Amino acid sequence: MTIKPLHPRHLLGEPIKQRILADVRDYVKNTSRMGKLVSIAIDGTAEVGVYIRNQAKVAANVGIEFEQQFWDRNITQGACKAIIKKLNDDPSVLGIIIQRPLPPHINVRLLQTTIHPLKDVEGMNPESIGNIVYSDIALAPCTAAAAIEMIKFLELEIKGLEVVMIGHSEIVGRPVAMMLIAEGATVTVCHNMTRSVAMHSRRADVVLVAVGSAHLVGPDMIKPGAVVIDIGINQQENSDGKIKIVGDVDTEAVAEVADWVTPVPGGVGPVTVAILMRNTVLAHQRQLQSIWREVG
Amino acid sequence: MSANIIDGKAFAATVRQKVASKVADLKETHSIIPGLAVVLVGEDPASQVYVRSKGKQTIEVGMNSFEHKLGVDTSEEVLLALIDELNADPSVHGILVQLPLPSHVDESLVTNHIAPEKDVDGFHIANVGLLGTGQQSMVPCTPLGCLLMLRDYHGSLSGKNAVVIGRSNIVGKPMAQLLLNESCTVTIAHSRTKDLADVVRRADIVVAAVGRPEMVPGDWIKPGATVIDVGINRVDAGDSKTKLVGDVDYASCAAAAGAITPVPGGVGPMTIACLLANTVTACCRINNVSGEDFLL
Repeated sequence: MTIKPLHPRHLLGEPIKQRILADVRDYVKNTSRMGKLVSIAIDGTAEVGVYIRNQAKVAANVGIEFEQQFWDRNITQGACKAIIKKLNDDPSVLGIIIQRPLPPHINVRLLQTTIHPLKDVEGMNPESIGNIVYSDIALAPCTAAAAIEMIKFLELEIKGLEVVMIGHSEIVGRPVAMMLIAEGATVTVCHNMTRSVAMHSRRADVVLVAVGSAHLVGPDMIKPGAVVIDIGINQQENSDGKIKIVGDVDTEAVAEVADWVTPVPGGVGPVTVAILMRNTVLAHQRQLQSIWREVG
Repeated sequence: MSANIIDGKAFAATVRQKVASKVADLKETHSIIPGLAVVLVGEDPASQVYVRSKGKQTIEVGMNSFEHKLGVDTSEEVLLALIDELNADPSVHGILVQLPLPSHVDESLVTNHIAPEKDVDGFHIANVGLLGTGQQSMVPCTPLGCLLMLRDYHGSLSGKNAVVIGRSNIVGKPMAQLLLNESCTVTIAHSRTKDLADVVRRADIVVAAVGRPEMVPGDWIKPGATVIDVGINRVDAGDSKTKLVGDVDYASCAAAAGAITPVPGGVGPMTIACLLANTVTACCRINNVSGEDFLL
């Protein structure tokens, strides 16, 4: 892999990731019997494999046990639910991760709902999302939390900030909006039915994008001095036939206008896996509080 | 130009009519009578009025009303045991615990003890999360009432710019979620918003839910916009009399708006009508009976 040249206005994920992981490492070092993370994948595609390997590597790095389970492609939904319930009841299991995508006959929401909220390290159970809406934002979906962590890293005053979130998915756009509202920002959520996204985004102090459309956001959509957080991941074929990963933002052009822009890859992505580890620590703390887990 | 007045009293009557005919249908074809249980703790005079009014309207549409009046000293334990009973009671399809509760009782503990499928207030954390991710849930009554009026007036809301003023858990946040589900571009503004006038002036739809008398003046309203006023504030009217006013300055806003809800007689009457509708919806879902779309 070639390393991208450092642009002075690129907000990189790696230092933020390392800062979070240092805290996690400390916590794990001072805790015995943390329990293990269980990763569940069905019908492993190559893409999922990369994600899982990365999570396993980071977990090992901070000292959290990471168990990889691969379930048969023909497993029924009922069987999935039954196994998850067993994992809920198993005291050696600290948290459960459902790797997406799943085969079409499995309803991902149903599995996420089956995970006990105290073991929901991905923050995807409806009760976890409900807590976010009610302004308890500690445990949030990893990607959404990572995006917000990047804004916080810049030490911007979030109260009163004008934020435009482009994209209203349940895993990113909506939780990001709710979290920033809880922190006192004025948030506008745009999406594919929005008449003029530029009209909104040009007013914003911070623009976040998560739509999955390569280079959707150009410099003409950004207020000079704004912060742009790119949550998109798109595959693009180069002229030489090689596949390249790009975000939803035309990074180089936007960097000429914005104060900060997160590159893809190397921006929000690395922070996301660090948040997963931080959520794991939080799950451990909450399990202790609820007397689910003995202090060890 | 003067605005169309959205008559909440008349519209609530048509909602109750639809509820009544659905109740009759459930009785006739399925021998089911929807039942709403209302729990009142203590003797707060305003709460007593609400509970009486809810009970009366419940019976008027042909449903069963179960009132549980408990003393102000009722322990949390006794209250939770009553909710357990109601959760298990097949003749009860909706459970409403009148808020506020006495200070020795944890409101969120009580709210989250109600079975989510019987949570006709839509305050259970799981329902909040489901609504927040665009899934089927119970929807809080006041924002549901606002949405029904908007849909009735506009038909499709897709692509409209909506501004919700206020970020409360019972109105502002669920209202924003509902408008996102209708594909509006949604801005959530609040007391921290820097230039509120400027934000409101962008809106095709303004929902004011801040609880500050007449804080939105007419020159904040884009000509022709629709104004939904959720505020109910009692203010001095001279001669030691008082009157009810909303969160918008009615006279000046009505001069600019295309449509507006008055206070009183706008959003207010819709809330109980939506409570009845939610009880029927819950009854249909619990009994696996189709036709929960009776409001359309």
